[in-house]
Amino acid sequence: MTAPDQIGSVTPVRRRPYGLLLVATPVLLVAWLVIWPIISAVIQTAFVTTPDGGSAVSLETYSFFFSDGYSLSNLSMTLWTTGVCAALLLVVCLPIALYLRFSDSKVAAYVQGLAIFPMFVPSIILSFAFIRVLGPNGTVDLLLNSVGLPHIRSPYLTPWGPVIGLVWDNIPLTVLILLSGLGNVSNQAVEAARDVGAGKLALLWHIILPRISNSILVAISFAVLGIFSAFTLPYILGPAAPEMMGPFMQRTFRELLEPKTAITQAVVTFGFCIVFGLFYVRSVAKNRAA
Amino acid sequence: MKRRDFILATGVAAGALMLPRMSFAAEGVIDVYFTSDQNVIDFWTNTVKPKFEAANAGITLNLVDGGDSAGVSAIADRALAALAGGSDPQADLFEGFDSRVTVDGIAKGLYVDFEKAGLSNYSKINPLAFDIPTNLPYRGSQVLLAYDTTKLDPANVPKTWADLVAWIKANPGQFIYNRPNKGGSGGNFVRRAIFEANGNDPTKFSVDNYTAEAGDAMLNPAWAILNDLAPSLFDGGAYTSGNTQSIQLLSQSAVTMIPAWSDQTLSAIAQGALPETTGLVQLQDLGLPGGFTKLAVLSNGANKDAALKLADFLLTEEIQSAVLTELGGYPGVSWDNISAELREKFADIIPTTIPTFPGGDWEKAVNDGWYRAVAPNVDPAS
Repeated sequence: MTAPDQIGSVTPVRRRPYGLLLVATPVLLVAWLVIWPIISAVIQTAFVTTPDGGSAVSLETYSFFFSDGYSLSNLSMTLWTTGVCAALLLVVCLPIALYLRFSDSKVAAYVQGLAIFPMFVPSIILSFAFIRVLGPNGTVDLLLNSVGLPHIRSPYLTPWGPVIGLVWDNIPLTVLILLSGLGNVSNQAVEAARDVGAGKLALLWHIILPRISNSILVAISFAVLGIFSAFTLPYILGPAAPEMMGPFMQRTFRELLEPKTAITQAVVTFGFCIVFGLFYVRSVAKNRAA
Repeated sequence: MKRRDFILATGVAAGALMLPRMSFAAEGVIDVYFTSDQNVIDFWTNTVKPKFEAANAGITLNLVDGGDSAGVSAIADRALAALAGGSDPQADLFEGFDSRVTVDGIAKGLYVDFEKAGLSNYSKINPLAFDIPTNLPYRGSQVLLAYDTTKLDPANVPKTWADLVAWIKANPGQFIYNRPNKGGSGGNFVRRAIFEANGNDPTKFSVDNYTAEAGDAMLNPAWAILNDLAPSLFDGGAYTSGNTQSIQLLSQSAVTMIPAWSDQTLSAIAQGALPETTGLVQLQDLGLPGGFTKLAVLSNGANKDAALKLADFLLTEEIQSAVLTELGGYPGVSWDNISAELREKFADIIPTTIPTFPGGDWEKAVNDGWYRAVAPNVDPAS
């Protein structure tokens, strides 16, 4: 431990609120562009216009949403996609992150470059590339065909289309967060465990995972927040119905011209997202306290 | 300078740079906003703009991609506000736009009435294309069936709705259309099914005759027709999410036939996105619907007169021929006003009528009804 902080004890200088000023911009922006729209959306959906022109408090739009089979199937589709994506992301990214953390070889740099690459590919380009590669008669089909194997059943226009696209798209962020978490695992701890004879699995389970559980939580909540409201990939690669909430809201708003229904869908979506948001905030707070 | 002061000063300077710059419409620059796709903007950039600017020294065109109709209608709403405040709307002409979209726009005189604007070429416009006097039709397009002639002999290609249905059922998995709200090719295929369910009579549908009962009575039979087709479509009932994706599936030889826009298909063939062996056919009993693309000129635009000159220029034979040859669309003027040589060359696709389907409530009912009644009947995991 170093000596107690000395800076606080020197003669107090005039404190100008510069620090607060610097934070003020983002805070005000968040209040104006995020918090206020949420409040106004909730208020808008809670009132209906009565036939005589007045307005009354009513949860009609919500009861429609939760009694409408079509809306509910869209919601459950979104939950399914999000859940499957989150699980797949963990399965795909954890080994990559572990490899990058513990490998000293030169190849690791290339692997890292490759893992970060999806970050630089716009999702619209990814979508059309996906149709070319995994779509019917796409590159994969041609390769399989050339060695005499049968066609694959293309995931294009099925729920698996957006899943594959979204997982690929979210790999960089997840790997980076997990990698930063793995920075907390000291080599000494790993070596000490190895010295007392811990196997690879025991090492992962007892030494590594407990130290990065926080990062996993953060990575998953980031991915889930992005995937839940994803638009481009489900729009282009997914089936016509059920839709994910992103395309569904957009269609309700722009094509059915029902802003109130669309806002209701948005509030419901927000309700689910906030749960994951709270996970994230809690883990950040826990980190700060530690 | 202390570090902190430096940061503060830099921040303020950077913030000042990011302030929205005040801008005014420049004299002699016509601001054109587009709702149409990139191929149309390319056509304007490569053909309309150089020709018009060469013919009218001192006037230039500023072509702006407005995204889609919602994007341009937001600009129109601001122009309406500018009209009330007497300020400059910073826009002159909207391409691919229906002036009805702006609430109160026509009533308040936001748009130029072309009947009274004295365009010298106004009388050349195809009578089929006329709509309301504030919409100026300048090009047309229709949905046709595009197919792969290597898999389907042009001699056996279906030419009526009944033949088409029989062909789709006999060749399961070889036909796909896109979702009706995601591009007009699938949308107009769905509308053709709606006409089929209503005695092939497009006059039964008008902008103002939608009621919930009429919607149920006239649309539900169409959903039944489309549901009947679903199991025979690509992948047992998949629907692409746009015109381009359908064309991509045809080019990958994943399907044999798709409904497609005439202009988009012709330019796809010209660019090599679709092979030379792509065939085009229109149903003979009643064609797949289509329509004319209209434009509107703002009455309060700073360059209104120049914009009207441009509108008149678009109707000249030079540009209208280019619509056929460069864009692959139909001319907005009557075919008599096109050179005989071109008329002969395109004789096969000259439509005598283009069935149209009203927008507004009917369109909304189609977009909602199809998603609820047709799309989900497919088990996506099957």
